[in-house]
Amino acid sequence: MRTDEITRTITTFPGMPGAALKLLALIDDPDVTVQQIEGVLRQDPGLTGNLLKLANSAYFGFPAKVGSVRQAVVLLGLKRLVQMVIATCTSAVMDRAVPGYDLPGGELWRHSLAVSVAAEGLVRELRLEGADEIFTAALLHDVGKLILGRFVQADYAQIERALAQGLPFETAEAIALGTNHAEIGAEVLTNWSLPARIVNAVRWHHSPEKSATPDIVLDVVHVANLLCRMIGIGMGRDGLHQQPSPEVTRRLGVTSPHLEKVASQTLQWANELSAALAG
Amino acid sequence: MNHTVMVGDMKIGVDGDMVVTHALGSCLGLVVFDPAVKVGGLLHAMLPLSSINPEKARANPAMFVDTGVPLLFNALYEKGAVKSRLVVKAAGCGNPMGKNEVFKIGERNYTVLKKLLWKNNILLEAEDVGGMVSRTIHFDVSSGQVVLSSGGVKQPL
Repeated sequence: MRTDEITRTITTFPGMPGAALKLLALIDDPDVTVQQIEGVLRQDPGLTGNLLKLANSAYFGFPAKVGSVRQAVVLLGLKRLVQMVIATCTSAVMDRAVPGYDLPGGELWRHSLAVSVAAEGLVRELRLEGADEIFTAALLHDVGKLILGRFVQADYAQIERALAQGLPFETAEAIALGTNHAEIGAEVLTNWSLPARIVNAVRWHHSPEKSATPDIVLDVVHVANLLCRMIGIGMGRDGLHQQPSPEVTRRLGVTSPHLEKVASQTLQWANELSAALAG
Repeated sequence: MNHTVMVGDMKIGVDGDMVVTHALGSCLGLVVFDPAVKVGGLLHAMLPLSSINPEKARANPAMFVDTGVPLLFNALYEKGAVKSRLVVKAAGCGNPMGKNEVFKIGERNYTVLKKLLWKNNILLEAEDVGGMVSRTIHFDVSSGQVVLSSGGVKQPL
C-alpha cells in the first residue's frame, strides 16, 4: 500500500490563498459589512479585478455593468462572491494536466467548471432548495485527482485488472492504492478549512449512499459529474466506469428529460464562465 | 487539412483531410463517406432528440441526433456525394455502469440513429457502440479509413 506516501503528498499540496480563507471565515458572521469584505479584497488587487470580470460574465447575466466590489457584493451576495473567489484562486492549480487519468492540461478545470454549471442547472431544473454550497462542492469534487494521478499512473496495471472485473474506477483505485481520489480530495478540502457539507459531498461523490446523512448537494454533484463525463467533458482513462446511484435518482426525482435539458445547456454555460475566468 | 469536431459539431472533409473527434462517451460519432468523390463528414451529436431544447436545436442542430444526422447527409449531398455510394459508420453511444435507465443517453442516441437510418434505407457498414470506454475517431478522408482509439489502443472500424 502506498497510503503513507499519498498522505505525505497531501500535506505538501498548495494551500488556499489567504483572501479566500478570510472571506470564508466572514461568511458565517451575521454582522459582516461590505466594508470588511472590501478590506479583505483590497489586499489583493488582482483578485478584485478577476472578481469584477466574473461578475460581468454572460453566465451571471447582470444587465448593468458591475464596476465595484461594493456593487458585486450587493448584486451577487456574499456567498456567491466567496464562490467566485474560490474559483479564481483554484483555477491555476486545477488547470494542470493530470497524468494517470490521462487528462491533458486544462481538461480537469474544464470538467470542474462544467460540473459546477450543470449542478446549478440541475438545482434549478429540479427546483431544489437549500443547495447554496453546490457550486464550490461541484468545482472541487475532483481535486484529489491532482494528488492521486501519479500513483494511479504507477499502479495502472492493477487498476486495469480491477476494471476488467467490472468494478467502478474509484473501487479499482482503492484496491490498488488503499484510497481513492474522492477521499483524498476530502482531505485536501479539510486542510483548506472548507465547510463540512462541501467536504462530505466531495468525499462521497461516487458513492453517495455511503454518506452518513443524505444531502442534496452531494446527490446533485454525483449526478452532474456523471452527466458531464457522459458528454465527454473530463472523461479520461476512467471512461464511464462509474455507477449512477439508484437511491440518488429516486431521492432527487431526476428523469432523463431533466438530464438532457441540462446537458443541452452545459457547454454554453461552461464556456461563458471559463471565458470570464481566463487570464 | 486537419479538422477537429467538438461536441455538438459537424465537419466536412475532402481528399487529403483528416477529421478527428475526441472523448465520445454517450455521444454519437457518425462518419459518412463517399469513396467516389472522396468527400466525407463526421458528426459528434450529444443528445437524441431536439425536442428537449428546440431553441438550442435551431442555433446548433449538430447537438442532436435527429437534427444532426440529416444536417450531415445534406452537407455531403451538396458536395456531390450520392446516397447509394455512402459508407456509414458509427461509434460512441456509451453508458455508465448499471441498469439505471435515466442515464442511458448513449443507448437513446443509438436508437434514434437506427430509426433514422432505417427510415431512409441506409445501412451501417460498421459500428463500435456501447460500453463504458471513451473513444476518439480519426477519419482519413483520402482513403475513407476510420481508426478508433480508446485507452491507448488503436483499431480500424
